Amino acid sequence: MGRQAGALNRIPVAAPSPAGEGFLLPIPVDIMLQSLIDGILLGGVYGVIATGLSLVFGVLGVVNFAQAEFLMLGMYVAWFAWRYLGLDPLLGSVLSFVVVFVVGYLVQRLLIARVLKAPPAAQVFLTVGLLIVLENAALMLFGSDFRSVSVPYQVQGFRLGDIFVGAPYLYAFAAALFLSAALWLFLDRSWTGRAIRAVAQDPMAATLTGVDTRLTYGVAFGLGVALTAFGGAVILPYITVSPTIGGQFVVVMFTVVVLGGLGSVAGALAGGLVVGIVQSVSTLFFPIQLQNLCLFVIFIAVLALRPQGLIKGA
Amino acid sequence: MFQATVRRRLVLAGFMGLAMCGTAAVTRALAAEDVVIGVIQPLSGPNAQFGIGSQRGAELAAEMINAAGGIKALGGAKISLVMADVPTPATAAAATQRLISQNNVSAVIGAFVSSTTLAASEVTERAGIPLVTFAFADQITERGYKYVFQVSPKGTVFGEAQFNSAIEIAKAAGDKIEKVAILYEDTAYGTAQAKGLRAAATKAGVQVVLDEAYPLGITDVSPLVNKLRASGAQMAFPVSYLNDGLLIIRALRQQQIDIPVVGGAAGYIIPDFKKGLGEYAEGVLSVAAASGDLIPELAAKYKEKYGTFITHEALIHAAALDAVVQAIEKAKSKDPEKIRDALATLDYCAGFARGVPGGCVKFDANGLNASAFPIMVQWRGDEPVTVYPPKAAKQKPVWAGKPVP
Amino acid sequence: MRAKLTPGLVLLLLFFVAAALLPFYVDPRGHVLRVAAMALLFAALAQSWNIVGGLANQISLGHAAFFGIGAYTSTLLYLRLGISPWLGLVAGAALAGLAAALLSLPTFRLKGHYFALATLAFAEVMRVIANSWAGLTGGPVGLSIPFVGSQPLNFAFRAVSSYYWIILGLLVLVCLVFRLLASGAIGYRLRAVRENEAAAEVAGVDTFRVKLTASVISAALTAVCGSVFAQFTFFFDPDSIFSLAGVSVRMAMIAIVGGLGTLAGPIIGALFLIPLEEAANAVLSSKAAGLSQLVFGAILIAAILIQPRGIMAYWPKRWSRRAAPAAVPHTEPALAKGSQ
Repeated sequence: MGRQAGALNRIPVAAPSPAGEGFLLPIPVDIMLQSLIDGILLGGVYGVIATGLSLVFGVLGVVNFAQAEFLMLGMYVAWFAWRYLGLDPLLGSVLSFVVVFVVGYLVQRLLIARVLKAPPAAQVFLTVGLLIVLENAALMLFGSDFRSVSVPYQVQGFRLGDIFVGAPYLYAFAAALFLSAALWLFLDRSWTGRAIRAVAQDPMAATLTGVDTRLTYGVAFGLGVALTAFGGAVILPYITVSPTIGGQFVVVMFTVVVLGGLGSVAGALAGGLVVGIVQSVSTLFFPIQLQNLCLFVIFIAVLALRPQGLIKGA
Repeated sequence: MFQATVRRRLVLAGFMGLAMCGTAAVTRALAAEDVVIGVIQPLSGPNAQFGIGSQRGAELAAEMINAAGGIKALGGAKISLVMADVPTPATAAAATQRLISQNNVSAVIGAFVSSTTLAASEVTERAGIPLVTFAFADQITERGYKYVFQVSPKGTVFGEAQFNSAIEIAKAAGDKIEKVAILYEDTAYGTAQAKGLRAAATKAGVQVVLDEAYPLGITDVSPLVNKLRASGAQMAFPVSYLNDGLLIIRALRQQQIDIPVVGGAAGYIIPDFKKGLGEYAEGVLSVAAASGDLIPELAAKYKEKYGTFITHEALIHAAALDAVVQAIEKAKSKDPEKIRDALATLDYCAGFARGVPGGCVKFDANGLNASAFPIMVQWRGDEPVTVYPPKAAKQKPVWAGKPVP
Repeated sequence: MRAKLTPGLVLLLLFFVAAALLPFYVDPRGHVLRVAAMALLFAALAQSWNIVGGLANQISLGHAAFFGIGAYTSTLLYLRLGISPWLGLVAGAALAGLAAALLSLPTFRLKGHYFALATLAFAEVMRVIANSWAGLTGGPVGLSIPFVGSQPLNFAFRAVSSYYWIILGLLVLVCLVFRLLASGAIGYRLRAVRENEAAAEVAGVDTFRVKLTASVISAALTAVCGSVFAQFTFFFDPDSIFSLAGVSVRMAMIAIVGGLGTLAGPIIGALFLIPLEEAANAVLSSKAAGLSQLVFGAILIAAILIQPRGIMAYWPKRWSRRAAPAAVPHTEPALAKGSQ
């Protein structure tokens, strides 16, 4: 491969570190630390993506299988914003948030609202239908191309001794933290946020105190999918978007939410970190191929021991 | 209330009706003299990008053959392609059966993805319809099936070529490679090619310091790159589709690891690779089954029609269709049985077969194109060009920024 | 309790007779019969799922695990040891039953969505194992059943119609099991568990044992479908046999669109959805990539919006001697109590 003139200085690849180094663990400390950091950066983004799913469930009681398709939508919005408006995806993510919020609101009012009183199974499969429609509509509208942005920090990284941190991962993590803080403020301080929480706890009582539950359901769903879309936009610098990208997140997203406790917003963030760390650290002990096996075994075990998720009442 | 119920029943009846008559609608007769050939490709789902490229190759080839007078042995009969979308192996059997029994295809070409092709071949073999494919997991031609023909070499051969060509280019440039890393996605294609890489490394006495499979659709390659960094490999051989390929190269850049990466076809040689990596695509090497610069006139037509360079899957599918057409010319019949016999003895070195490295289509007893070999391409500007082996090369390879003598 | 012949049962019997005669009226090697066979196979799958999903209201999204266990067991026994798939099918059912029993240990306490997602994870675990343990399973390349011509003892036939009748027989068997379970003592216990688990417990129902029995039977039948599927399609790979969308979700969806917990629901659902999907593929897949799936998804949404309780909700109640059990307990949308 041609070396880019002046872009990088050729640094020697580290020789295999002598294993052990007197620790009980057969894994050197720096490699362990590196994995932990990678896991945390990844997990922060999982957290924000899954928070949306958790919010939708918490308020509407609907497990939204199409949630990851809104991640895909968010990525496309950010991609078009980058391509035609020159917006960095980290800024474009705001646009993704807004656009997908509107789409989500409409989807809730036009489709989900009609099955809120239907058997849960019908709700689940309505969202499965929605998943199929969104994925294939994207295929028809945008084609099957793998679209990718190019931004300068994409190939930059920070180095601290033997620890490397990829810039896009760090920025995505920071954006995820920012949005989580904003969400917390919104739910805690704003009237709409409180209305959402009220409806989640008791729709009847909320109605009696003057909350428009139908509107609130729409807003909550829109907000939920917009959060996920935001998460999609901020990872665009390191992941390409194609109509089927959602499929690669859907199972992980559910794992995060269940570990954190379905419906719990803070739990989803914690669950995201747990999943990110498990995925990353498990590769030190097992082949990467078995990454998700480790995750799911832990998942089932946690459910068996704590059927309401890791974080209860968060 | 009553009306609502009636309306619902009517809607329901409508759905049922649609479901019933849909299958019959496709049976409409085609002009009697047309030769119908089935094209099965993943047009939706995660491999759609490759399926659409493959389909375009076949479409363009049919168009050009028809424009040049169709099939002469059948009095200028036109080729008519019937497409079917096979996003997963589970859909392949039904779709292939549909083409055979509803559309009376004379042959089938496709389906890019190895597992889908394996599924389809079980149907074509039992129905006695020739299947000409580009997919190259070793199992496809190792089952001794009579109706399966593969235009390009086997997956393990691709793996061996990926390794040997890269080592030789490095050697010519004065680099001695002693430690390498093999990274592959755990699909039929990835494992077959990794097997070839491993075998070639053992044979060459080169140490494989990292040999790691990762799940298809991986979204975070940090663990992979951490392992690569710790392994001390001097060269990496990833076998992957696009997204993981981009992720790996970017993560290497972030960690300032500047070892050469030699790609394993698929995602490394499509237009989106360049779009995704920009200047970082320049100089990336990859093994390939074919390249547009081997057959410039077809490449030019393709670019004119679809706006991008011709990918190897498009080119090989054009050659696959041409092989079927030549077999029909030879058999002077559109009977699948006769086409199969003609394919088995085909020795064709003109037309689109010139785009296949080696320049010919000639199948051995297993249905493998014995004359084809993998090539090494390297990104130059917006397109990959053929750089190895010398007998096929259009330009000299570049190694570590310098042209290789 | 012996049921009298209700109009519903008569119609069902007529359906089975008509289905048995179908191969005489269509091309016995052709596409229509293959689609019909697939529809019947999915009806059998959905009916197996209906035993836990419909009777106990345990929405499993991981039945692909048992489907795959069946397919892998019979096929591997045949390819490696030469054991006839007819025997392998029984072994697969036993193994799947065992797997279901083991899975019950950590999941039986789980409710609703937690149960669904735990089973989903279990199927993913099975998929990863099948993909990675190449020495045993052949890995991601999948398994091919060799083409040996007609060997009835080895479950190999030339004509699609042979497979079709076997699948029809399987469907009849699964429907019989479902009917026996639903109308027997276990059916009442399952429904008690479904309506109110705590109350059932107090009333003396051993809820764990009832649920365990149902899930073992359901898993074993699903595995038999898996073995038959493998023989019928001659090829499968880990991604397609353990597929979430292609198997787990689909079998549940068929039962739900048809009518959850009813005997005819899965059959109606399968006869509606499978030909519909195939027709959409046949007519639209050459038009524009994604269009056929888009239409399929839209029709699915429409079907659920028009009648969330499934097509069987249109079945006139007075035609059944005993009112069909209410499809699903009428619960408020389960609100998370963990999000205060």
